[in-house]
Amino acid sequence: MARILIVDDSRTSRKMLRTILEENGHEIIDEAVNGQEGVQKFQALRPDVVTLDITMPVVDGVEALKMIKALDADSKVVMVTAAGQKNKMIDCIKAGANEFLTKPFDKDEIVNVVAKLATE
Amino acid sequence: MFDQIFGNFLVETGKITEEQLADVIAYESTVRVKLGLIAVAEKLLTNEQADEINQLQAIMDKRFGDIAVEKGYLTEDQVSNLLKKQGNIYMVFVQTLIDKKLMTLEEVDAALESYQSQMGFTHSDMDALVSGDVDRTVKLFLPAENDLMARHCALAVRTFLRIIHSSAYVSKAYMTDKLSVDNVAMQTLKGEHIITAAFAGVSDSLLCVADTFAGEEFDAVDMDALDAVGEFINCINGLFASEMSNEGMELDMLPPEFFDRPSELSGEKLCVMPIHIKDKDIMFITSFDEEMIVK
Repeated sequence: MARILIVDDSRTSRKMLRTILEENGHEIIDEAVNGQEGVQKFQALRPDVVTLDITMPVVDGVEALKMIKALDADSKVVMVTAAGQKNKMIDCIKAGANEFLTKPFDKDEIVNVVAKLATE
Repeated sequence: MFDQIFGNFLVETGKITEEQLADVIAYESTVRVKLGLIAVAEKLLTNEQADEINQLQAIMDKRFGDIAVEKGYLTEDQVSNLLKKQGNIYMVFVQTLIDKKLMTLEEVDAALESYQSQMGFTHSDMDALVSGDVDRTVKLFLPAENDLMARHCALAVRTFLRIIHSSAYVSKAYMTDKLSVDNVAMQTLKGEHIITAAFAGVSDSLLCVADTFAGEEFDAVDMDALDAVGEFINCINGLFASEMSNEGMELDMLPPEFFDRPSELSGEKLCVMPIHIKDKDIMFITSFDEEMIVK
């Protein structure tokens, strides 16, 4: 079981992720609606795993990832992306992203990715 | 889409009733089984392989048969045989009208000619329509604008049929510089081109998109429901950006925007494609290299 922080500006995506992860025994310790709030909550809560949407207002996922990795290089961050964001994905890999999830969500993929990171 | 488009023409011209059309379409779904189910029944695919392909379809924008061949589960010959077993939608629709004694073959032919004349379609256009191919059908209903716009609209309709409602159909699209809508969700792609895509509704018509995509029942087209519509647009635009990236054009996706009140959309060239699901009408609006302004 992992303590997870969900960072996504879309209520729909947050709800889908929360439902799937809670059904599989994980604890959602909080949610954030943009990258800035996500970094603040990461610093305060130190979750086991962060799911971080790439396309967000205020501070986007790539910038938030850099800030989180600066706070804790060993943090486990799963980037959430729609198809077609190749350049952003490359930026995320360079910034230390641990895994990627693609929208629309595949339930098994979410469960496997988070389980893998939680046991690393 | 042929069955819905031509079927609704038959209803509008009094050849059959709405109830009879609904009955014909319901019957079709019992005789025209999905390709994956036929493949499983023929023991060419396992249930797990069919499920895997169905899931991949949501993020790959490819036909079931093409993915099955790419994965090495089926050969092209096997897909071709399965498609023959599935039957062409035009043949199934016409056969059902005749079997149910709603129309004779001669009456169907006359109605098709009348439809062709009303729409101003050529014989080649009619071939495209009866082929059941979504891309060819969507192009028929678009104004002669740029190729990218046609590809974006076709991808949106394909994704709509796959994720939201398989019985949705389109009618003639048009260009405008102003459009009044009750609510709208939109997203812009920026790069070599600036492309904005929006779904707009009349009254609560966008609920059919929001409910299906989010898997919940919204009471009204509020910001939460529009967020779900925005996520659906995000999926469409992601697939489009992916397609463009494979051709060397990079497009960045901006966060979706929502307006849950009556608004006026304006822009130099807005392309409005009506999409119909049962009695609900929604609009897919695109703007290429021109700003789409919401007031």
